Amino acid sequence: MFTQQLINGLALGAVYALIALGYTMVYGILQLINFAHGEIYMLGAYVGIIVLGMLTAVGLPAYSLALTIFITLTISMLFSAAYGATVERVAYKPLRQASRLAPLISAVGMSIILQNIIMIMQGKQYRFLPPIIAFEGFSLFGAKVSPVEIFILSASILLMILLQLFITSTKMGKAMRATSQDRVMAGLVGININKVISVTFMIGSALAAVAGVMVTLYYGVVHFFMGYTIGLKAFTAAVLGGIGSIPGAMLGGFIIGLIENFGASYVSSVYKDAFAFLVLIITLILRPNGIFGQKAVDKV
Amino acid sequence: MKKILNLMLSVSILAILSGCAEEDKNVIKIGAAGPMTGDQSKMGADLKNSVELAVAEWNAKGGVLGKKIALLSGDDAADPKQAVSLANKFINKGVVGVIGHWNSSCSIPASKYYHDAGVVMITPATTNPKLTRQKFKNVFRVCGTDDQQGRVAAAFVSRKLRPEKIAIIHDKSAYGQGLAEYFKKALSNKIEVVYYGGIVQRDADYKAVLTAIKNKRPDLYFFGGIYPEAGRLVRQAKEIGLTVPMITGDGVYDPTFINIAGSAAEGTFITFGRDPARIPTARTFLEKYRAKYGDPGPYSIYAYDATNILLTAIQRTRTTDGAQLAFYISKTPFRGALGTISFDTRGDVTRAPYVLWKVKDGKYVQIR
Repeated sequence: MFTQQLINGLALGAVYALIALGYTMVYGILQLINFAHGEIYMLGAYVGIIVLGMLTAVGLPAYSLALTIFITLTISMLFSAAYGATVERVAYKPLRQASRLAPLISAVGMSIILQNIIMIMQGKQYRFLPPIIAFEGFSLFGAKVSPVEIFILSASILLMILLQLFITSTKMGKAMRATSQDRVMAGLVGININKVISVTFMIGSALAAVAGVMVTLYYGVVHFFMGYTIGLKAFTAAVLGGIGSIPGAMLGGFIIGLIENFGASYVSSVYKDAFAFLVLIITLILRPNGIFGQKAVDKV
Repeated sequence: MKKILNLMLSVSILAILSGCAEEDKNVIKIGAAGPMTGDQSKMGADLKNSVELAVAEWNAKGGVLGKKIALLSGDDAADPKQAVSLANKFINKGVVGVIGHWNSSCSIPASKYYHDAGVVMITPATTNPKLTRQKFKNVFRVCGTDDQQGRVAAAFVSRKLRPEKIAIIHDKSAYGQGLAEYFKKALSNKIEVVYYGGIVQRDADYKAVLTAIKNKRPDLYFFGGIYPEAGRLVRQAKEIGLTVPMITGDGVYDPTFINIAGSAAEGTFITFGRDPARIPTARTFLEKYRAKYGDPGPYSIYAYDATNILLTAIQRTRTTDGAQLAFYISKTPFRGALGTISFDTRGDVTRAPYVLWKVKDGKYVQIR
């Protein structure tokens, strides 16, 4: 039972972590909590289910499952990245010099708009995808692991490693780190701030799209409202790990996933959603900067 | 700027006023209420389609009492608060009767308002017994109740399936939790209930609770709830290796359940009314509905009969007075698509034929 809950929690945590990365990266650069990020995830899931549906109609999954998932992930990532960057252009860029509250409200507005666009375009009911990956898993230390769970865990860990490499050892990654330290100074030394911000939004959105496609494969249903709760939980994960910190968001995601699963199984399944937010409150009281968060230094 | 605003305001007020004046006195209004939006919107659409079909048939024959029938359809979004505000809206618009609501958690609070206003309410799908235990003379239901349903399911489990251990979960709604409680109460005391608990509606991941259930090694698990959750439950149960069958109630009886769950739905037991395809009187309705809207939903035929009961009562009593209509409906058996429907003193049907169904080869099959 413990092992099974551990696996369930890790798979769920990987999804939270991928979404939390988007929150934390944007916060690191713009000090903005992008509340529309959960909707980008929802959008990624919708693109995923549409592409998967079309590929299933032509019979590709029977021919090559890996190719099907690869095509779906690529299209969904590209689409969401474009969407994320556009949202930034439309809703945040004009407000970059405004007070910090303005872009935050703009983000909430963007979230509602995106939800409603999808509701009008795709309908209010659940969209479902019949399972295309076999759900009978194999046994591991008395627990069942399904192929989708393996895929979720390995793909998300791979993406996190790639992201870490990108941030630490590419020129763009260096520019991103510089921008997050001091946006004005970075601009003065010749970094194209607008490009850095766009790339940040694109990467965050593409990661959320991966999470969306994974969830589609995992649970088989999408809904226009699905980004709301999971967005809040991923945000909690980012705060827990220390908002602005990339390893923090990864760790935070896994911790939230595990706490939720253990809480639901050992304490009460009725209060499943409450555990994540309880963690948020405790973190904010005991360690407001999160696990890896640095104490904010006032810029003089 | 201010002048323009003032002008716009007065124009809009005028528009509202003239709208009131234009209102046609020569129609009889009836309401159709259900979840028209949200994840249960298909149920709302099923309900509305059936009422629409019945109203269209009556209007084609010249309406009722020499007047045309106007159908107002409203959305309660499966939300008790919206159900109450919808009830008030219907009452203010002067509906004679309402067909609905769908969810127990909506029908029960709304019924109080219909009662106070003297509006007849006939629900085609609300199965929570509390609805008709409020001693409201104007409230009727054409389907069965959860205590009857729970008893049928429990008898089937106790006599036929005979598990040693069973787990029971519900979605915390008035319907789901109610059904789970009635089922538990009616279960033979030889069967040990090893798990009893609720789940969060709309949650995506139920693996935590399923793993806890699997750990108790039940031979069967019961779910009180609706199809979107049930679909995810059986699918995730198979993923973690919980292979015992699920038994559940009428809220899961919808093709969407099988679509979400795929082959994981196989072997699920469901309590529901008799198969309309086996009821001779239902044939005309099924043909008409299919021709206009496609395959009927689980409660389409109930909504159709409910509408006809209301309209027949108006025609026979030659009045739109709620008390007189309610008296007529409670006393007079009605012959409709489902066969003969007659109500007891509470407003429940005297005969609630729940039978067992099973998912077999991706279809619902009546087994007894």
